[in-house]
Amino acid sequence: MASRLIAGGALKYLAGPMGINKIPKRFRATSAHLSEVLVNCPPTKTTTLNNGMRIATEDTGDLTATIGLWIDAGSRCENESNNGVAHFLEHMAFKGTSKRSQVDLELEVENMGAHLNAYTSREQTVFYAKCLKQDVPKALEILSDILQNSKLGENEIERERGVILREMQEVETNLQEVVFDHLHATAFQGTPLGRTILGPTQNIKSISRNDLVEYIKTYYKPSRMVLAGAGGVDHNELVKLAEQHFGKAERGEITADPSLLGSIRYTGSEIRVRDDAMPLAHVAIAVEGAGWESADNIPLMIANTLIGAWDRSQGGGLNNSSKLALACTQDNLAHSFQSFNTCYKDTGLWGIYLVAQTLSLDDLVWNVQQEWMRLCTSVSQAEIDRAKNVLKSNMFLQLDGTTAICEDIGRQMLCYGRRIPLHELESRINSITAQNVQDVMMQYVYDKCPAVAAVGPVEGLPDYTRIRANMYWLRV
Amino acid sequence: MIGNVRTWSKLGRRQIIRCKSLLESRDFSTGLNGPAPPLKSSFNQPPLSKPPANLEKAIYAEHKSGDRQETTQITTLPNGLRVASENKFGQFCTIGVIIETGSRYEVAYPSGVSHFLEKLAFSGTAEYKDKDKILLALEKDGGICDCLGSRDTCIYASSADRRGYDTVVKILGEAVLRPRLETDEIAAAAQYIKFELENLMTRPEQESILMDMIHAAAYKDNTLGLPRICPPQNVDKIDRDVLISFLKTHYCPSRMVVAGVGIEHERLVESVQKYFVDSPPMWGTDRSKVRVDNSLAQYTGGIVKEECHIPLHLGPSNLPELAHVVIGLEGCSHSDPDFIAMCVLGVMMGGGGSFSAGGPGKGMYSRLYTNVLNRYHWMFSATAYNQTYSDTGLFYIHASAPPSHVKNIVDVLTNEMSAMAGDVDDEELRRAKTQLQSMILMNLEARPVLFEDIARQVIATGQRKLPSGFIKDIENISAGDIKRASVRLLRSQPSVAARGDIRHLPNLHEIQAGLSDKQPVSRSRKLSLFS
Repeated sequence: MASRLIAGGALKYLAGPMGINKIPKRFRATSAHLSEVLVNCPPTKTTTLNNGMRIATEDTGDLTATIGLWIDAGSRCENESNNGVAHFLEHMAFKGTSKRSQVDLELEVENMGAHLNAYTSREQTVFYAKCLKQDVPKALEILSDILQNSKLGENEIERERGVILREMQEVETNLQEVVFDHLHATAFQGTPLGRTILGPTQNIKSISRNDLVEYIKTYYKPSRMVLAGAGGVDHNELVKLAEQHFGKAERGEITADPSLLGSIRYTGSEIRVRDDAMPLAHVAIAVEGAGWESADNIPLMIANTLIGAWDRSQGGGLNNSSKLALACTQDNLAHSFQSFNTCYKDTGLWGIYLVAQTLSLDDLVWNVQQEWMRLCTSVSQAEIDRAKNVLKSNMFLQLDGTTAICEDIGRQMLCYGRRIPLHELESRINSITAQNVQDVMMQYVYDKCPAVAAVGPVEGLPDYTRIRANMYWLRV
Repeated sequence: MIGNVRTWSKLGRRQIIRCKSLLESRDFSTGLNGPAPPLKSSFNQPPLSKPPANLEKAIYAEHKSGDRQETTQITTLPNGLRVASENKFGQFCTIGVIIETGSRYEVAYPSGVSHFLEKLAFSGTAEYKDKDKILLALEKDGGICDCLGSRDTCIYASSADRRGYDTVVKILGEAVLRPRLETDEIAAAAQYIKFELENLMTRPEQESILMDMIHAAAYKDNTLGLPRICPPQNVDKIDRDVLISFLKTHYCPSRMVVAGVGIEHERLVESVQKYFVDSPPMWGTDRSKVRVDNSLAQYTGGIVKEECHIPLHLGPSNLPELAHVVIGLEGCSHSDPDFIAMCVLGVMMGGGGSFSAGGPGKGMYSRLYTNVLNRYHWMFSATAYNQTYSDTGLFYIHASAPPSHVKNIVDVLTNEMSAMAGDVDDEELRRAKTQLQSMILMNLEARPVLFEDIARQVIATGQRKLPSGFIKDIENISAGDIKRASVRLLRSQPSVAARGDIRHLPNLHEIQAGLSDKQPVSRSRKLSLFS
């Protein structure tokens, strides 16, 4: 229930919005005709039900399977007074339905050896089950039950408030999440993306049954849902089961969310939460990135990969291909850093997350920005080729196991309306040149106002004006 | 609410206007003057939601249900090196080497040698000047590599495009048998270890420190009880000679298995022959003066305590400082007849954090949840573990709570442990068995896990038992088996590890008494007399 952000994207610094199995490379066209490539994995099959629900599967023939519902709704759909309701609902889903009590539900899942999980991000709500192949029908029945017949009992709602407040405490132990929440709050200030997923304490204490029911009515609609499956899942069978469990649900109006699209505004700005009692400063610096569908994401992710991620105890610093890691190792500038590219429908955040001692922040940020400027102006093709290879292996290798594949299918179906075939993604990455990366970096990063969020002993972090001034080079 | 949003944008607009007059063209914000113009991509690709026009046609390798084959092929090469592999659907392969080495063999060496070797893995070799060259070679085939050490093994592994298998095997051969171990590389490794130790001491997570402590208590001063984490005073002591001598002793063909997943067996064997047999290790093949410590693990039981301050979680959460207690009992090796029963028992005890992510399915009806975490609100976490080795095993429960409850932790844990020998409910046994079965299959979905499973089994037993075999064995476990295993566990001396503010920790005698007092009287005593 708690894994709200991890899958939402902020921390998927390398994997980006997608990841796909590898395909053979050398089947490239030599003639001008459409050529063929061998893709050594099963195709993704899709079907749309009459009420608009989409079903997408990849049958890998495993003995286990993951199936889940990806819903086009998240904390972004909320307003100031009901911020937190999407996440609240995710908690209520496991608290019993009109058919089964909470204990029945829990025992049924536990006795099957299955796992039921859910998470909420700013744009998506996900419920999925991992189970043995033969239990897929049962798992889907349970998922459909908790989504459509949740009891939302008053007593359970009251009890859950405490659990969510406790979860908030847990989340606050994760400084990375804290910093990313601050980053969103400042970069998207005054807009729905600036709010947190859990919502403010006050809302958690006051959200009513009516708020929950209203939210379900508006957003948990077949036209906003994707049923994804991977592993030992037969497509036709899953379609039949979906028809049986969701076929009667009303389509739902897709236009029901005035809060979306058009209302998001990025603002270059900063937020600093200085606390000298903490040992290390945690800083995120970002610029506005691209929305999900933009093809610019590929060069942005290549740039990201080139900067990479590093931790001082992982070793290899001196031999790391990232110039920033090299600088950090030589001068002991940081404890760790991670570059990230978070996408939303119409915007995104592209940047870097740093953990360092306050005295080295000045040098560290200078090095980061020098590297960014170098990517904008003079990155070499050899570096880009290397980053492309690394990006491909990061993307393709992470897709191992039914849950990872299922997540990829569900997310892509919502973000792109399709699953990008493996060979297409690979050819898109292969086609990028150093010039493309420079152009895109110029467009998104060069001379742009960054959003900065910093927590801890941040006295050493350069002033905003200084950070802003290092977003361009006078000499170009 | 809407009013507020307006205020914001007004404010933003004023800032922008002021800013504009200064900087002319630079904007703080987007979207203020109506929607932003559609971004134009600077290169010629359609959006990710649309396929490019001239995309090649894909021929997919369609899976036919039921054709999944599970067979592990094993070959022993003339020098004693074993090669094991399983072919698997997919474009990637994972190949690696498992070596019988690790901290348990460090008795004649300064502790921490294995920790150093783990950090030094995939550094410069005879053929590749430094780590960067290795990574570069691997990246061409979309590969990555990693090294993972444990108490009794060390695994060097790499995943890459399956057509790059020969490069992968070559790199593995180089990394395992022909590392350069230059002085500057060793100095860098020492630095990383120092950083890692510093991290360990400043983080609230205590698992790896406690693992070392409970092993030190259970196997006092011998084999598995030796520390896996390099002690701070040894970081600057370990030099090239020590490392080479350790490598020469333990990195020999008979203590090694090369395993692969997603590769044809004959090809793997061919490559291994080239890079592991035909090219000799840098320390030569003469083993006349080499002596390996083959002593069996001696379970002693005992207590290891460290009174210290446990770092708090950073940030604004107000979580309390915690004290950690681990209580362990002597388990069994993975070739023991009670092995499966103890695994089922471990799942039945289960447990986790009092607050943990995830919905149903994480073992929320296991005993440590129903009897402990749901009942005692002060308990922060309680988790059962079952560690097995080739000659012994350790079954332990780790719990944490605020320091004022240290004595209560011990009471609750000893209660639960002695109750293991009591009656087993049919439903809970069924559930634990199903959960263990599905856990095995779900874990094996991932190629690296499958690789590790093959490698560990072949190095331990010389063969691989298929998951279906384990599923069947688990199915056959009865309540009697669980009881027998529990009684056997409870007959051993307890091992205790505790860290944090543990002033109120009872002494070992009291803990031991707590375990035996509460033993259900008749059944267990009788069994121990006659079995």
